[in-house]
Amino acid sequence: MAIPIAAVEQSGIDWEVPEEQIGLWQDAWQRFRRNRLAVLGAGIVSFLIVVALLSPILVHFGVLIDPFRQQVEDIQVAPGVGGHPFGTDLLGRDILSRLMLGSQVSLTVGLLVQFIIFPIGLTIGLTSGYFGGRIDNLLMRFTDIWYAFPDLLFVLVVVSVWHLSGPWFIQLIPIFGAIALVNWVGLARLVRGQVLSIKEKEYVEAARSSGSAPLKLILKHLLPNSLGPIIVTLTFGIPQAIFLEAVLSFLGVGIQPPQPTWGQMVNDGYEAIYANPTSVVFPALAIGFTLLAFTFIGDGLRDALDPRMRR
Amino acid sequence: MAVIAGRPRRDALLPRRLAAITDSRLGSLGVYVVRRILWMIPIVFFVIVITFVLMHSASGSPWDKEGGRQLSQVVVDNLNKKYGLDKPIYVQFLLYVWNAVHFDFGLSYQYEGKSVTTLIAEGAPYTMTLGVLAFSLIVPVGITLGVIAALRQNTRVDYATMGFATFGASFPNFVIGSLMVVVFSVFAYKATGGNFFLPASGFGLDDHLIMPVVTLALLPTVFTARLTRASTLETIRQDYIRTAWAKGLPERLVVIRHILKNSLIPVVTTLGPTFAFLVTGSVIVETVFSVPGIGRAFVTAVTSRDYPMILGTTILFSVVIAAANLIVDILYVFIDPRVRLT
Amino acid sequence: MHLGVSIRALTLATAGVFAVAACGGGATQTQNLAPADKQVFNVNDGTEPNSYDPTQQTYTYEAGVGREVFESLLKPNAAGTDVQPAAASKYDVSSDGLTYTFHLRTNAKWSDGKPVTASDWVYGYQHFLNPALAAGYVDPFFDTTIKGADTYGSVDVGNAGAIDSFTQGLGLSASDANTFVIKLQHPAAFFKWVVTLWVAVPIRKDVVDSAAGGSFPSTDTTKPEAWAQKASTVIGNGPFMISEIQSKDHVTLVPNPNYWGGAPHFTKIIEHFISDANTAFANYQTGALDAITVPLADVQVVRDDPVLSKQAKVYPKLTTFWMTFNAAKAPFNNSDVRMAFAKSIDRDKLNKQVQHDIQQSTLSFIPKGMAGYDTSNKAQSFDAAAAKALLQKAGVTADQLNKFKLLTRNTTRNKTLNQFIVDQWNTNLGLNLQLDVIDSKTVTSRIRKAQFDIYGPDGWGADYPDQQDWYDIFFKNSCHSLNWGCVSNNGGLNGYDDLVNKADSELDQNQRNADYKKAQDMLINEAAVAFIYQDYEYNLIKPYVGGLTITAGDDQALPGNFFWHDAYITQH
Repeated sequence: MAIPIAAVEQSGIDWEVPEEQIGLWQDAWQRFRRNRLAVLGAGIVSFLIVVALLSPILVHFGVLIDPFRQQVEDIQVAPGVGGHPFGTDLLGRDILSRLMLGSQVSLTVGLLVQFIIFPIGLTIGLTSGYFGGRIDNLLMRFTDIWYAFPDLLFVLVVVSVWHLSGPWFIQLIPIFGAIALVNWVGLARLVRGQVLSIKEKEYVEAARSSGSAPLKLILKHLLPNSLGPIIVTLTFGIPQAIFLEAVLSFLGVGIQPPQPTWGQMVNDGYEAIYANPTSVVFPALAIGFTLLAFTFIGDGLRDALDPRMRR
Repeated sequence: MAVIAGRPRRDALLPRRLAAITDSRLGSLGVYVVRRILWMIPIVFFVIVITFVLMHSASGSPWDKEGGRQLSQVVVDNLNKKYGLDKPIYVQFLLYVWNAVHFDFGLSYQYEGKSVTTLIAEGAPYTMTLGVLAFSLIVPVGITLGVIAALRQNTRVDYATMGFATFGASFPNFVIGSLMVVVFSVFAYKATGGNFFLPASGFGLDDHLIMPVVTLALLPTVFTARLTRASTLETIRQDYIRTAWAKGLPERLVVIRHILKNSLIPVVTTLGPTFAFLVTGSVIVETVFSVPGIGRAFVTAVTSRDYPMILGTTILFSVVIAAANLIVDILYVFIDPRVRLT
Repeated sequence: MHLGVSIRALTLATAGVFAVAACGGGATQTQNLAPADKQVFNVNDGTEPNSYDPTQQTYTYEAGVGREVFESLLKPNAAGTDVQPAAASKYDVSSDGLTYTFHLRTNAKWSDGKPVTASDWVYGYQHFLNPALAAGYVDPFFDTTIKGADTYGSVDVGNAGAIDSFTQGLGLSASDANTFVIKLQHPAAFFKWVVTLWVAVPIRKDVVDSAAGGSFPSTDTTKPEAWAQKASTVIGNGPFMISEIQSKDHVTLVPNPNYWGGAPHFTKIIEHFISDANTAFANYQTGALDAITVPLADVQVVRDDPVLSKQAKVYPKLTTFWMTFNAAKAPFNNSDVRMAFAKSIDRDKLNKQVQHDIQQSTLSFIPKGMAGYDTSNKAQSFDAAAAKALLQKAGVTADQLNKFKLLTRNTTRNKTLNQFIVDQWNTNLGLNLQLDVIDSKTVTSRIRKAQFDIYGPDGWGADYPDQQDWYDIFFKNSCHSLNWGCVSNNGGLNGYDDLVNKADSELDQNQRNADYKKAQDMLINEAAVAFIYQDYEYNLIKPYVGGLTITAGDDQALPGNFFWHDAYITQH
């Protein structure tokens, strides 16, 4: 019977709970650098960030077609026609430059939402799972309420009652709010499930009986051992947040046009799916590449931070 | 860390575990389940409160028309009287709760003379059929792909599986749905002269199901596969798994009895809500394939300010999600006998 | 009439009549008919009717079912120039114009075989006019015309006695089994059009009562609608009857075997409720639908396709779209500012390019296909230089205007149009205006409270092809385009209301048209709104659908639905 490579590689390697935090992070960084896919992912993300920052400058100096210029004689043209490498949209605007500028909003939404979800979900999940009992019950019933939270209504109310307008990052606030508000619950339950299972393991029991403080126990044992699923959830959450922004704009509560976002471009492209299918495929591919890059980084991070992979 | 003698055995036989549960736990599990079901009452109550406040804060009245001639104030006043919207808001709330306790969820504003219960009962069978079918696709496919990728980590199999998974997740499902319509309905119809194609919309217990179910299942399958892979990677590095391999146990046995069972916690955790989301419907899939389900009904209710329908669908969703999470918590005990529910 | 709003459709409204094209062969080609089991017509109604009680219907997607199952006294003729007999074989008007006597067909029968009597008509109108049921189309068509209905708004809907004395006191009577008499408050030459509406139909009291489980007080609002919940109890007098309601999916109509006009050719009409235009387009291409409206983005696909391009039919709708300014708010209370905005939109660029040469540019109010269509006044024509000069004349700076937003409903089409229009203003007037896209209900609520700067595309569709239906929306106290905010103190046009009121009650048609023309000139010259385009419907219809009489008043995506009784499927 063949033994899987992974198992062979690691057989016989013993590991201990790292005592030196600095050593852990240094090691992790080295392991991360050795992972070629992770480095590629980091490269793609850096590239996207550079694009997001540079595109307004490129437009300013005329290197890039103005993403807001409507050339109505060139509506819905195919890639390559009329000097538009990716074609044009419903109003004859250049899809390539809109994609590049749109990365600003989409990356911000995708990333920032995870930054909001992560601490909330993690704290509630860890607390709930670690302490169990009444705390667990109360926190989890609380999450049950949030699961059913009518997020669409929430955004409608925030947008219409508070009437947030202005630049796109101001308009993003309720959208962040809504996406984050309903998405931390998944992470919280996931972490809690992991903790419930891990905290009964021997090494945790051992640490606990040797008098480790709860916080130390959580940070040193429970968190690192739940990292894989957490990272998957967060990396998966990035394109989900980008799509959610699209769904919200579809329902009329997204970023105001003409500001391009990948989600809105997918929406507009959907409208023309028969006339010009590439107008939906390009923004979808942009989201796909972003997802791929973050997945590589996530996998690299997971492996790098996995205490059992230390050599 | 070495294997400590006397630790609860991961390969403990099922009967022994069941016996353990029966002895001390089944009783307490029963109490636990009853308590959790009772907990649904405050949960639903709070969901009603939140929804009630939100929907009455949203601007626009149910009687505003989306174009053309607006209803005159006289008609609007009579409509408000007809549906009790002329009463103070707290009275409306108390009345709603009182009726809801008696399982009367009111009349829809949008559909003249139809009760919310009727509307949900009409749409639920379609939505649930699609949801259950999608779920039964997600679980085996997602988990199998995930385990295979993990066991062959960083090999071509891994890359191919996860590459496919990532690709699948990179398109929003309405794009996938409509691209499928373009290819399998329109293009297939033209290419075969109408002899073979999939119907682009509608519901039927036949080839109508293929495209909606696949569209619905795709993203959760991919997510499940990735989650299973990550979780399995954590597990196969544990000492007891290495011990199991070293003992020369057959791969199938190791995978099923040791790896899978220990990797399932996060997967099961997310499958609970996934199931709840699936059986309560996806507005996108139901719109693209024109399925008369309740997923679309919620969004239509929100956009048309059909208050009783908004509340009805939200309550339904909160009950389903609470039940799904309860089942997940119970499953934890069966997957990992050391998990204690309190 | 209000047009159904699917999430992707442009909101607004149509009805009215104008014969444009008859597709397929003449009705005489009967030897070519497909066999009975193939006489099935599949169309897309977009959305399920909110009610199967026609008196409660307000949207075109609802009327698209109601019209087939119930028949009004009169109906518009194919050309849209006058009414023609329907359930009534003829009608007389008293010399004072106050009494309308409708002679019902003696052979008219309900779908269950019972004869249609004048008392069924009286009951139908009373049911419709019951204030407790708050039907959407009572005001302004019926409460301002029928005798006794003017107190419609002040009836206490909690008091059954008050409701009963109101409905019994209406000027409705059955002088014999086949004569239905309606008395009016004052002469109204347009009343013949009012009775063509799908809401003005007979209803069977015995059916309503038995579905409700016995009689009920008039204050009850649920029991009188019980009959409309099931296909078997929706008993109508129209050419078709409902055989099956598959909620949110489709409704199936079959011929009413007892219809006075004989059996139609279609043995089945299936009205599907597909809200996504791309899905409907796919269904047309796979043969699941026989007629659809082409989504704007796909127009070029149809034109480039050798097969589809031959099945395309374009016909005008009696619908005009425009941009509305909040005239209660400075500087839009200045007509020069409004005119500057009106003159800085290149309508041909919009309609020929952005709208794929389907919609037609317009500078005036009354659409092509109706009496009163007149293009002579070109005051709002595109002229960027003149527009800039007007702004200067008004002394308004760009800074003052840049804080304004264009309120936009959240459909892709509205967003696309308004991005273009804002771009026109910004380019041609040197401004930096922004869009304010928000969900449709919020938009309506804001415009009703006058919380907006500019709103569009706003528009009007004919309920019937008479100008009276059009001009009242600009009345000083009307809750519409000039007076969004529904308050009468924000100006209005000097003398406009009097002029239109005079025209409405005028019996001499030439004088009437002249007065309406003056009113239209006022709207254009004052730039009350900026007229943009007339809506045209771009449809695909399978070549085997014959005998369709398409009119400008057809309900959206239901070509020829006023005359489906005569349509048929040929061998194919």
